[in-house]
This record gives sequence, structure tokens and C-alpha cells, in this order.
Amino acid sequence: MSETLAVGAPEAPPQPPKRSPRAVTRLRLARLRDLALIPPIIALLIYGYTLKPDIFLTKSYLVDTVLKYQTELALLVLAEALVLIVGKFDLSLESIVGIAPAVAVFLVVGQTTALGAPWPTWTVLPVTLLFGALIGVFNGLLVVRFKLSAFIVTLAMLIALRGLQLAIVGGATISNLANRVPTIDNLGSLRILTVPLSIWIVVVAFAVGVVVLGYTRFGRSLYAVGGNADAARAAGIRVERVVWTAFIVAGALAALAGLMLSARLGSVAANQGNGMIFTVFAAAVIGGISLDGGKGSLVGALCGVVLLGLIQNVLTLAQVKPDQIQAVNGLVILVALVLARLTSGKAQD
Amino acid sequence: MTIGTTARGMLGVAMAAALLASTAACSKDSADAPATGGGGTGAVGVDLPRADSDFWNAYAGYVTPKAAEVGVQVAGPTNSQNDVQKLISNVDSLVTQGAKAILMAPQDTGAIGPKLDELAQKKIPVVSVDTRPDSGNVYMVVRADNRAYGTRACEFLGEKLGGKGKVVEFQGALSSINGRDRSEAFKECMTQKFPGITVFEEPTEWEGSKAQAALETRLSTDPDIKGVYMQAGGVFLDPTLQVLKQRNRLVPPTDPKHIFIVSNDGIPQELDAIRKGEIDATVSQPADAYAQYGLYWAKQAMAGVTPKEGPTDHGSTVVKLPNGYEDQLPAPLVTKENVDDPALWGNKK
Repeated sequence: MSETLAVGAPEAPPQPPKRSPRAVTRLRLARLRDLALIPPIIALLIYGYTLKPDIFLTKSYLVDTVLKYQTELALLVLAEALVLIVGKFDLSLESIVGIAPAVAVFLVVGQTTALGAPWPTWTVLPVTLLFGALIGVFNGLLVVRFKLSAFIVTLAMLIALRGLQLAIVGGATISNLANRVPTIDNLGSLRILTVPLSIWIVVVAFAVGVVVLGYTRFGRSLYAVGGNADAARAAGIRVERVVWTAFIVAGALAALAGLMLSARLGSVAANQGNGMIFTVFAAAVIGGISLDGGKGSLVGALCGVVLLGLIQNVLTLAQVKPDQIQAVNGLVILVALVLARLTSGKAQD
Repeated sequence: MTIGTTARGMLGVAMAAALLASTAACSKDSADAPATGGGGTGAVGVDLPRADSDFWNAYAGYVTPKAAEVGVQVAGPTNSQNDVQKLISNVDSLVTQGAKAILMAPQDTGAIGPKLDELAQKKIPVVSVDTRPDSGNVYMVVRADNRAYGTRACEFLGEKLGGKGKVVEFQGALSSINGRDRSEAFKECMTQKFPGITVFEEPTEWEGSKAQAALETRLSTDPDIKGVYMQAGGVFLDPTLQVLKQRNRLVPPTDPKHIFIVSNDGIPQELDAIRKGEIDATVSQPADAYAQYGLYWAKQAMAGVTPKEGPTDHGSTVVKLPNGYEDQLPAPLVTKENVDDPALWGNKK
């Protein structure tokens, strides 16, 4: 849904692609910032190549062992980026990753007769998305209507949704899904032009995101609201509606990410998504999304995801000792942050 | 306005806290006033270690029926959600509710010591299932030997592979004593008995997604992987099968492309997978016996019986520990030959 500006109101200031010389330089700088993570990514690719020269740089390796495993994270980062750009937080996304597919799958294969279950298997995808969106509606209600702090609201929702999921499925993993739910089987194993469906979904989602954020009125209003809500309101943007929409879209995206994760694993684990939100924030911030709102690009965020995925994979390849891997992982992320800071020359916030 | 928002924020925090408190305290003592005097029996306070694992949910399901069988009253059960702080406060609450003995499964075996000593001073005997506290007085530890899981898995894989080849091991969390025991025993056995086998140790934090990514990477770099040892069935089974299915490696043992898989836990899904020939073996961790003999020893403790070392009437052995006794339950290896054995708890329903 697109936002309507009041007639005659001036356009919101942040990042309008105007054609004045200064704006062009700024634009070029902005593009450069998006690419700040390319050097560390190249460094990791080279290091990976030295570890396994025969296979590391092949398409099948990079697609099947690196990118495929970052698709859910990528969608979550996209979701979180929308909420961050609009100047809010959504911590509950990691619990939506668990509960949305759990509810949808439970209604189809669970041992229950509630709400007329078992439902037909095609309902899995729409129910998942709808459930995620509904949580977004609820988050938005508390944050926008009741003006509660987004951080605390979504933190409470993180805990409450995780608990609700445990209560619904009785703490059990819902397993053997690939053989019982065709949607899940397809989502997990279908390939288009030899590339897994999940990667295509991410590519399309990000392409849509880049276009919407960069070239539509709604996208620009996200930046405007995140940059300065009062100014945006004065400019005629319906701030509440923009924020609310961001929460709803984020909820639905997180739900889709959850279903993709379930499809890849063939099951819905009771703790699915647990702890993911830290990685989501790491990827978003490394990718240049500002925690203060109003700044950041999706291309940068996607680079952040790819970088984290490569780090994980290279650490496995290098056979870092199990008891050290977490420490090394944290250190490498710090180094990546510093590198991004040096190459972009821009203060992170 | 600012003050109003802050106040509402505070209200939000308070509500979140209330929500937390209500979920934590949702299991009230349903038992009547503990029957004191007579044979000296009272209620057994039961604390469950976590609600998000299939094994522990099975255990939780056995507590009530086994209590009726053994003939003890149960106070609780409370759930400590894998957190030693919660465990300590739950135990206090159970004691206040009139528990005369405590049945717990402390997942952090180092941190519970002082509490155990405190309970010993209060003359409240403690039975610990599944884990052996590093320090502090316990009346009885009821567990299957986790080191034996690792050793049996190693022996099974070693024989099937003929003492050579490559094996992937999904390790649990290194912060868990059970995961560490399995890893160490597996490694020890492999280096001593099967030096020709290369083991790739993959730390997973008990997360299926991490295990899957690691397996995919290893299968790319080393397509001649011949075996997989997963330290828990519940979280690793479906993700592993998904990878093997997509790589067409889910083939019968007679096929040279077959990958031998041995698992731990013995949950019903694993037994199904063994019947279908998808995995080759599991070590059954007796959830029913844990509940039964945990409660049995709690009853003995309340009756003032001192345990005797040596074989018991239920096929196990009691050994003396520095800080108490341990009832070492047998943990049978389940393969296609004995998968239909009705004595396996995974076959009961």
C-alpha cells in the first residue's frame, strides 16, 4: 500500500535522487557505502580458496553450502531493516520464525481438532504469512496506538510468542514434514535453473525492497519517518500508518523466513529461530543500517548477510576447534565491522 | 507528554514482568497438604529441566503415571528452562509447598552444588536424573552413562566402516556435561580403536540448522564421508535426512554410497527412521526409566533407606560416588534387528 502525501506538501528531504552536482557526489558516496563490505567478502573468498582450492569457488559450493544457508537470515534482515529504517525495533521477529510455521503446520498435521483441524495442506503458506502479519498488526497496535516503547513491546512479544509456541506444540518438534506437506517439500527442495527456490525468493524480495525503498513514495516516507518523525508529519506523511505497515510487512517476512527454515530442516523445532535476532542485528549493522533510524540500504544489509554466511562457512572449513569457534566468530565479526568503518569512512551508529 | 510516555513505558515493563512471572509460576502445587508422619513419606518435588526438547517432554509425560505406579505424591512439576537460577528458586518454592524430597535434572552441573548442600542440611534428599552434579550432596544420581553413548556410537560406526573412512560428528553444546561426555568418549574410542577413521567434529549448540550447514559443507569438500554420529535425535534427525535426500545419499546399506548414521536418544521418530532404513542405529536413553527410578529412589530416600552398592532388581548397577550414589541404567543400542522390541520406551504409547 502506498502512502499519500498531502497535496502541495514539499517532498521529504532524505535521499531524493536530485540531479544537482552535489547530490550526484552524495549519491556516489552512498553507493560506495553500500559496497563497503566487498573488501572483507573478497578477503574471505580468497582465504576460503586457499583452504579448498579445488571446490571453494565453484558455483555449486557457494550456492549450496554458503548462500542456501543464509536465505532465512537474509529475509529476516530485510524485515528488520524496514523496521530499523523507520526508527523502531522489532525483536519479536525471531519468535515469529518459530511460531508462524508451527501454528500453520500444527493446524494441518497436529493432533488436534481445534478450529476444525486438520486443515488442508495448501493452507500452510497463507496461514503462516497471515499469522506473521497479524503479529505485526499487534506489535504496531501497541507501539503506534498505545505509544509503548518498541524495544520493550517486542522483547515481551519475543518471550510471549516463544512460550505460546511451546504451549501449542507441547514443546515437541513437529517432524517428518517433507513427506506430509507438499508446500514444505517444494520450498525446501525445488530448484529453478539449478538454484534453490529459497534463493530466488530472497533475490525477488530484495529486488522489490530496493525498488520500493528507492523509487516509491512509500519507501521514501520510511526514511523520512525514521530520520525525523515530526518533520515527516509536518510534511504530510501519515507517520503512524507508515510505522504500522513496516511492522506488518516485517512480521509477514519473518513468517516466510520461518517457513523456509522449516522446509530446509524438514521440521519445526520448538526452539526454531531462538537467538537469531542477534545475528540479524549484526548483519544489519555491519551492512550499514543505522540503529537510530532513517539510514541504511538493503544492498548493504544483504552484503552483511553474505559476509556472516561466509565467515561461518570458512570457520567450518578451517576446522577451528569447537571450543574456540564462537570466540573466533565474534572476533571476525568485529574485524569486519572495523573494515567496513575504514572503507566507508562513515561513522556507524 | 514525555513523562506520560515514560510512565506508559514503565507500565509496559511491569506488564511484561507480570507476564513472565505468571508463565513461570503457572504450575501450582496441585497435591493436597503433604502427608507427614506415618511412613515418613511426603510429596516429591519435581523440577523439569526444559520444555523444548522431545526427550524431556517424553520424560515429563512419564512423571505422573510413574508416580502413581511407584506410589508417591508429586509436588509441581516446575520447569527451570535450562537455567540454574530458575532451578534454585523452583526448588525453594517446591520445598515451601511441602516437598520432602526433590527430583531434579540440573543441566549446569557445576553451579548447583551449594544448593544441594543447603538441601542436605535441611534433610531434604535430592535425586538427580540424567546429570551428575560436580559437587554437593545427592542421595542418588539416576542416569544412563553418557560416555557409553559416545563409545557405542563409535564402536558401531567403526565396525560398519571397517575401521577406515571419514565420519562427521554433530556435537551438542560444549557447555553441557552430557554433550561433553559423549564427545570425549567418542573421540577417545575413535583414536584408540579406529585410528584409520577421520572424525570431523562439528559444534552445533544443539541446533539442527548449524548441523545441516556443517554436513553440507563436509559433503562438498569430502564426498567420501561414510558415517554420521548425531548426539541427539530430536534436533538433528530431520535436517540430516533432508540433506541426504537432496544429495541422493539416502540409499540402503548395501549401496556403496550409503552413509551410516548412528544417533542418541531413542525417540519414536528415530525408531521410525531405523525401520525405514534411513538411519542405522540409535542409543536409547530411557526416558521412562529416568522418571520411574528417579521417583523410586526419592521414595526410598523419604523412607530413610540407605542405598546398597551393586546390581539392582531392574537391570542396573548402583555405584558409590564421592557425593552420593549413582544408579547406572542400561542404555541399549537399537538397530534394525531390535527396533520393534516393546521394551523400548520409544515404542510405548
